[in-house]
Amino acid sequence: MDRTGVILIMGLMAYALRVVPQVLLVGRRFPEGWDRWLRCLSYALICSIVAMTLFMTGGRFESNAAPRRVAALAAAALVAHRTQSPVAGMMAGTALAAVLGWLG
Amino acid sequence: MLFSGRRFGQGMRAAVPIWIAFVPSSIAWGIAAQTHRLPLAEVVFMSAWVYSGPAQFAVLGPLSEGRPALQVLITGFLMNLRFLPMSAGLAPYFGGTPRLKLLLASHFVSASSFIVPYLQFQKEASAAPSPPGAGQRNLCFFLGVGASSFLVWVAGTAAGYGFALSVPPGFEEALKFILPGYFTGLLAVEARDRTARQICLASLVLAVPAGAASADWGWLLSAAAVATAGWSLERWIARASS
Repeated sequence: MDRTGVILIMGLMAYALRVVPQVLLVGRRFPEGWDRWLRCLSYALICSIVAMTLFMTGGRFESNAAPRRVAALAAAALVAHRTQSPVAGMMAGTALAAVLGWLG
Repeated sequence: MLFSGRRFGQGMRAAVPIWIAFVPSSIAWGIAAQTHRLPLAEVVFMSAWVYSGPAQFAVLGPLSEGRPALQVLITGFLMNLRFLPMSAGLAPYFGGTPRLKLLLASHFVSASSFIVPYLQFQKEASAAPSPPGAGQRNLCFFLGVGASSFLVWVAGTAAGYGFALSVPPGFEEALKFILPGYFTGLLAVEARDRTARQICLASLVLAVPAGAASADWGWLLSAAAVATAGWSLERWIARASS
């Protein structure tokens, strides 16, 4: 199979995962407990993606970059919490990541 | 009601931080794909058709090295499994929407375009009961977020492909941080209760050893385990106190 064919099938599989809940679950309210579990799962998934993006490369822990990225992450969370603005948090964390990257 | 321009516009405004985050991410993806010597047409096609940054990054190496198709597909599938709970989380808010619209709109479900509408719908639902036609209006909001973010992602991919490869290390570090930084900021504002914060912290910490144990499965399994443990503990405490 050529590369375009692989990408085509990969996209179809991704679409199937996106569309199946929309077809089977649309308009239905989950029981409160199930809804709460989904919310917990979304928090956990997003935090795991953040950790994998910032601290792991190819299954290896990026020990050199980790301290400055933890600092940038803490700055983003703190500023967002104080200002109640995710964008302000993102900008503060990104600025700190850039400065620490240049220094390091 | 067919289409709510006001609601679509609200979605687009809510998506601005995602656009800001997607510009560097999509450019970074374009640069990475170019360094792996994939042709521009395939790179843009992949961004538009698969539309999943983590999966695209994950399969880039195997795809460019000509590894077996099954390996690439399994890797992509595992990375995209997260769409199941995300799409399931949105589905209850689209009641009364024609199925064809849902089929078309589903393509725009991504980690970023999921969390913004999902939190917005939850906030609205907790403030007041859903009025008639809320499902279609919610879909318009979702499309405002999803379709605009999608266009930024695809355009950014093409721009990144032509971007200079000699990005200064400090600048690269900032680019890498933008999307996680935005998610962190969003959760710092939205995850207000104690359980949610404990889940965030535990999954952030545990994803690292879990990802080291298994780069494909580890972080997914640890996220599911932390979420389930936090949810169970919360229910147990609620039962014990009632």
